Amino acid sequence: MLPSDPSLPNDSNPPRDRPATAGWARAGWPLLASELQMLFGRRRTWAMLLVLAAVPVLIAVVVRLSSGPGTPGRGPAFLDRVTQNGLFVGVTGLVVSIPLFLPLTISVVAGDTIAGEGSLGTLRYLLVAPAGRVRLLLVKYAAALAFCIAATLAVAVPGAVVGVLLFPVGPVTLLSGDTIGVGASVLRLLLVAAYVMVSLVGLAAVGLFISTLTDVPVGAMAATIVLTVVSAVLDALPQVTWLHPWLFSHYWFDFADLLRQPVSWSSFGANAWLQAGYIAVFGALAYGRFASKDVLS
Amino acid sequence: MTRLWLRWLPAVVVPAVIAAGALAGSFQASAADNLPAKTPEQVLAMVGADTVRALSGTLEQTSELGLPQLPAGAPSSSADMASALDLLAAPHTARIYLDGPANARVQVMDQLAERDVIRHGNEVWTYSSKDNSVTHETLPAAGLKGKTAAATPQLQTPDQLAQRMLAALDASTTVTVGQDTSVAGRPAYALVLTPRSADTLVGSVSIAVDSQTGLPLSVAVQARGQEKPAFRLVFTDLVLQAPSADLFAFTPPPGAHITQRTRPQQADERPPGEPRAPGGNSGSATPAHTVSGQGWDTVIALPATAMPADLTASPLLGHAAQAVDGGRLISTSLVNVLLTNDGRIFAGSVPLARLQSAAAER
Repeated sequence: MLPSDPSLPNDSNPPRDRPATAGWARAGWPLLASELQMLFGRRRTWAMLLVLAAVPVLIAVVVRLSSGPGTPGRGPAFLDRVTQNGLFVGVTGLVVSIPLFLPLTISVVAGDTIAGEGSLGTLRYLLVAPAGRVRLLLVKYAAALAFCIAATLAVAVPGAVVGVLLFPVGPVTLLSGDTIGVGASVLRLLLVAAYVMVSLVGLAAVGLFISTLTDVPVGAMAATIVLTVVSAVLDALPQVTWLHPWLFSHYWFDFADLLRQPVSWSSFGANAWLQAGYIAVFGALAYGRFASKDVLS
Repeated sequence: MTRLWLRWLPAVVVPAVIAAGALAGSFQASAADNLPAKTPEQVLAMVGADTVRALSGTLEQTSELGLPQLPAGAPSSSADMASALDLLAAPHTARIYLDGPANARVQVMDQLAERDVIRHGNEVWTYSSKDNSVTHETLPAAGLKGKTAAATPQLQTPDQLAQRMLAALDASTTVTVGQDTSVAGRPAYALVLTPRSADTLVGSVSIAVDSQTGLPLSVAVQARGQEKPAFRLVFTDLVLQAPSADLFAFTPPPGAHITQRTRPQQADERPPGEPRAPGGNSGSATPAHTVSGQGWDTVIALPATAMPADLTASPLLGHAAQAVDGGRLISTSLVNVLLTNDGRIFAGSVPLARLQSAAAER
């Protein structure tokens, strides 16, 4: 029995004579594999990752070429730390990218998920296959999550590599004024990268929902990035303080809490809960919209 | 049709569950515990007998003073005034570590930055991550008194603030015990200080006192005619254990700009009573001020020479002050400051009319 057989029942009650691989297929793994292949086979995806990687590289080269260490207190945070420990180029890169570059690329990928298939007219064929709408939605979101990870690593890893090449690798000063060794600073960099990845998954869920609303991918992308900007603006207004803990961008800069001594985990937890809430709400909205949608294209 | 409707069900249920969870969480936080009833005297005695010598915790300071609020990170004309305003008006989170009278560390956690004050024996270090600067000061040996070290005058623990307020308690204040609360997960008695005088802006001061140790856990100052506390300092997280000793051992990071400081020979004690004197005018150069009235409706008067000319001309001041009869008024929910036309300053937790009458007396 082929996985693409349209007569395959959609519920969980598989016939007994099914080959072992069919369970694997039913879980949607081939669909996810092909989805990832498509996402990372696109030139657009690689162009975005390259631009992201260029941010820390540019910072490192400029700091290296300019005479002397940067003046503390000027420029992006941690810029003056870079000359002490090259690994911090990755952190500086994340500081610079998180307000705009990272959300922009996530919006492009998440906004394209369903609307892109709709505009190409391929959504119908995906749904003819026994994938089921829920599974398609999950696979699309999983691919967007994979891009969140790839985008964060595209800033952090080239940043760290370039930093190690251009600057000494030594003890580094944390925000609290304490100094930690190289091994601990690698760990902190990884923690910061993990924090940034978690910070972006809520935005990806919002993008997925908006993508189910339309067949015009550019519209979904633009709407998602506009929401990011609106969230950031509201977060800066003290008049709506009550709203702040509910904005998905509220904890974005709090990854600095991981660079204190001792590490302050409270913002990591709060951020993870907030993003999980966004996944739940916008996942449910996306399901409601997508499962009840007439797919004509 | 019904099936299509069913598919929207999760989209309704999930936000409802989250909203219910958030509401339940906030109710739980303020849930009253059933503590054995105590008289105000007994609770005051608990505060006096409190034996906490070491703790690590997180403090949150918020204020609703009715000052003009600026968007975070907005450029400002006067950096010094803006930072003073920021310390007063903006919310702060700080971690605090105390171990006996000799060891203290306060970390004011800003976004992407941190300000530290570390006290280890007679050594006091400050560190600011924004400009990577360090100051160092050696205190006289006699400074080691009290049960826990006072780390910084800007940010105190609820304990230090409450002790100062309770030290100034007199007949002008009614002390009652309010409904039991819970602060940082610890059941606490609520000690409520209410001014007897009707002529003050302060509605009441409530101090949450830990039911086990007697340690004050939060201080909230309520202004008259305002529902939210005008000033609130509260532990959001508290562990009553000695923090790790290496937190207090500070070595200046390489590349930091180090300034040595010597403390001017002057009594560091400010008159208790008013917890937060506005403007921080308690510097060494302040000319003699006169105090009229007592208790909650005290008015402090400064002569015309007290105010630096550049402060009077500051555009921020012009923005914050409003013209009133006899001068200009800076009004907050807790403190009114009257700048008379001849340059004198009258300040107090009192209505404008009392400041005006104090100004008219001479």
